[in-house]
Amino acid sequence: MMNCIITIELGTNAVRVFAFDFQGKVIGFQKGTYPTFHDEPDHSEQDPEQMFITMLYVLKKLLNEVVYPKKYGVSCICFSSSMHSLLAVDEDGVPLGNAITWADNRGKKEAASLKGTALGDAIYQATGTPIHPMSPLVKIAWMRSHDPEKFNQTRKFLSIKSYVVQQLTGSCIIDHSIASATGLMNIHTLSWDASALEFAGISADKLPDLVPVNYSDIRLKREYQKSLRLLDSVKILIGSSDGCLATLGAGVWEQGRATITIEDSGAFRVIGDNIIEDPAQRLFNYRLTDRLIVSGGPTNNGGVIFEWFANQFGESVMNFDLDKTIRDLVREASTTNAGSDGLLFLPYLLGERAPIWNANARGCYFGLHIRHERKHIIRATIEGVLFEMLSIGKTLETYREISSLSINGSFASIPFCTQMIADMFNRPVNTLSHGDSIGVGAFVLSATELGIFPDLEQASKVVQMHETFSPDPKAHQVYKQYFEIFESLIAKLGDEFDQLAMLQGK
Amino acid sequence: MTQTIFRNDISPELDAFPHLQEIGVIKNTTIRLNSFVKECCDGIGLRLVTEGKFDWLIDDKLYTVYPGDLVLLLPGQTIAGDNDILNIGSFYTIKVTVQEQCRVILGKWSMLSHKEKLSVNQILTHNRHTPVISLKEAQPLIQSLLNELKNEEVGRQSMINHLLDQLFIYTCRQLVRQSNLRRDFPQTFFNLEQILRKDLAHQWTVEEMAALSGMGTTVFTEKVKSFSGFSPINYLINIRVSEAIKMLKRGEANVTTIAHATGFYSSQHFATTFKKLTGYTPSEYRKNNLFK
Repeated sequence: MMNCIITIELGTNAVRVFAFDFQGKVIGFQKGTYPTFHDEPDHSEQDPEQMFITMLYVLKKLLNEVVYPKKYGVSCICFSSSMHSLLAVDEDGVPLGNAITWADNRGKKEAASLKGTALGDAIYQATGTPIHPMSPLVKIAWMRSHDPEKFNQTRKFLSIKSYVVQQLTGSCIIDHSIASATGLMNIHTLSWDASALEFAGISADKLPDLVPVNYSDIRLKREYQKSLRLLDSVKILIGSSDGCLATLGAGVWEQGRATITIEDSGAFRVIGDNIIEDPAQRLFNYRLTDRLIVSGGPTNNGGVIFEWFANQFGESVMNFDLDKTIRDLVREASTTNAGSDGLLFLPYLLGERAPIWNANARGCYFGLHIRHERKHIIRATIEGVLFEMLSIGKTLETYREISSLSINGSFASIPFCTQMIADMFNRPVNTLSHGDSIGVGAFVLSATELGIFPDLEQASKVVQMHETFSPDPKAHQVYKQYFEIFESLIAKLGDEFDQLAMLQGK
Repeated sequence: MTQTIFRNDISPELDAFPHLQEIGVIKNTTIRLNSFVKECCDGIGLRLVTEGKFDWLIDDKLYTVYPGDLVLLLPGQTIAGDNDILNIGSFYTIKVTVQEQCRVILGKWSMLSHKEKLSVNQILTHNRHTPVISLKEAQPLIQSLLNELKNEEVGRQSMINHLLDQLFIYTCRQLVRQSNLRRDFPQTFFNLEQILRKDLAHQWTVEEMAALSGMGTTVFTEKVKSFSGFSPINYLINIRVSEAIKMLKRGEANVTTIAHATGFYSSQHFATTFKKLTGYTPSEYRKNNLFK
């Protein structure tokens, strides 16, 4: 019998479960979606029980339909999840309502009142997490003042991953990666940070126990072993966060290399031994291992913006097919010049995180001329999303030299977009052979823990570079000029965003 | 006000159609006080505006309706003129009785299959908050209905019932199209999921779910699978089990009550499905998933 590694990724919209053989080849894959509820503006919640049941269902299906029929046994199960989620549970461990996701902005005021204060600066320095409503630190502070009953009833504040792992194993733990995105953990000492706890108004015993990402001193409950037909010896690895693992799963991370991920949202990340201390607090630092730090900046406005565009302005047909519409639009965009003949687009339809960190930022087409056609608007939309990535990249480049890029995520992997990234950054860009970097990252972590590879560096060699896109110097010159205007536009708009957002919120 | 209206209690033309309470045209030429005070619909009411502009309070919410707009009233919904006044203009009106008050099931006269009638009920009920739709098919259909009633030609009964069926079918199709701007499947699926959650105890069929999403069952099943990873029924089971777990953990009801509230047809069925998925029986689950 052969053995395999299972990775479970609790993502924003869906759980994705992969089975890998020991060489890193995908044996099987299953996914299952769960909904996000926006019952009030700024709220974004998910049902923890539905996430758990969906995960269980999908895992079981993959085991019974693929893994066991192919005569594989399971050696290891490794978890990843999206960052910044918060789930309050009571004395019995029963959830007090839904989990609050990273996209939730209810703590806008709490974040604004902390940001820029001496305490806020100290908490950012200590925790590495930008002060923002996404962070559980701010969410707990919000709950304390707006929902004191729930706050007082809470025995533990968990992440969604902690909850799922607690259901499966009975242990109430959180890994250093997820914890370093809570705004509550000191990334230097790897313990809960006293000043952050004080701001949130809780003591450390209200939080799960901190463990490293390779912690595996936990076991599946007997009932789950039985119903999933898994042995007691299966290693259960707590794992890391989607962001950290997507970077790990993007392969080599020697000096000078960065990873761009663009799915619905996006991020620009580097791995290194040091924390980047950005006085303007535009960048995050998340713990991957006790040695490695993932630093970078997240954007809200990735592929979701182009999807919005396709939904609104794609050719209308009876049986609308989003993927086909996006392909058609991209083809149309490619018939015009780099720079869209002078049309710029600020992609802030969902407010923005890095590098401007302004939840009130809004979208804008700038420079429209009577000669502009539909194709220019399409192209400008794509360029705007990628200029934003360039803007984050430039911020990071003030701290780290970046000589080449690898990309992943469905939007960044559209060849037209990949080439555009190469041209804008004026750097070669590699695409990866594996479609899902988060799963691969979890595999790399697991395979190292199982001793299949001596260390993460060796293990990550399973990631093959698929194709290299070289920059076109002429296009780069054009983008460079327009990017200057893009940046100065952003610098100029500020109050207008706030005023407009206020009117829109009425 | 002039009106040409057939009414079941006085018009012999409607003898063969006990389900047709009234059908006709109302033309209003003067504004008078208290000309349109609140009335409550006891069947399905349809009003198609052909001239003028009307301010109507439907369930106490103001709508301004124009020519081409079809107003749809379900049993229990109220309608009144704004300030109790009927504006100047004209409109067709049709009232059809339904079998039960709580569900909008078309009677035996309709040639729709039982499943189709259930879908019509689901669609009408879930869209009761959008009582005004624009339906270009409505006017020719209603005009044909009136002609059939007046001209007593062969096949009259079948034609009239058939035209009524068509009117309901086009109405439902338009409602579904309106609520699922067909392009955004994730949104359509999310809307459907909200409807399922509101009535988990109902024995949902794939046909009903597909109809609410405005698709045929085959396309619907395929789209749900590729989007969610589950077949529609398995997705529904996910929601049912998740809701059941919440109730179990709150310890607020016994297993049979939970089973029925979440749409399992027996506690046995609930226990089997639950154990197959989680490895626990429902009562074990509660004990084993709390903090020690």
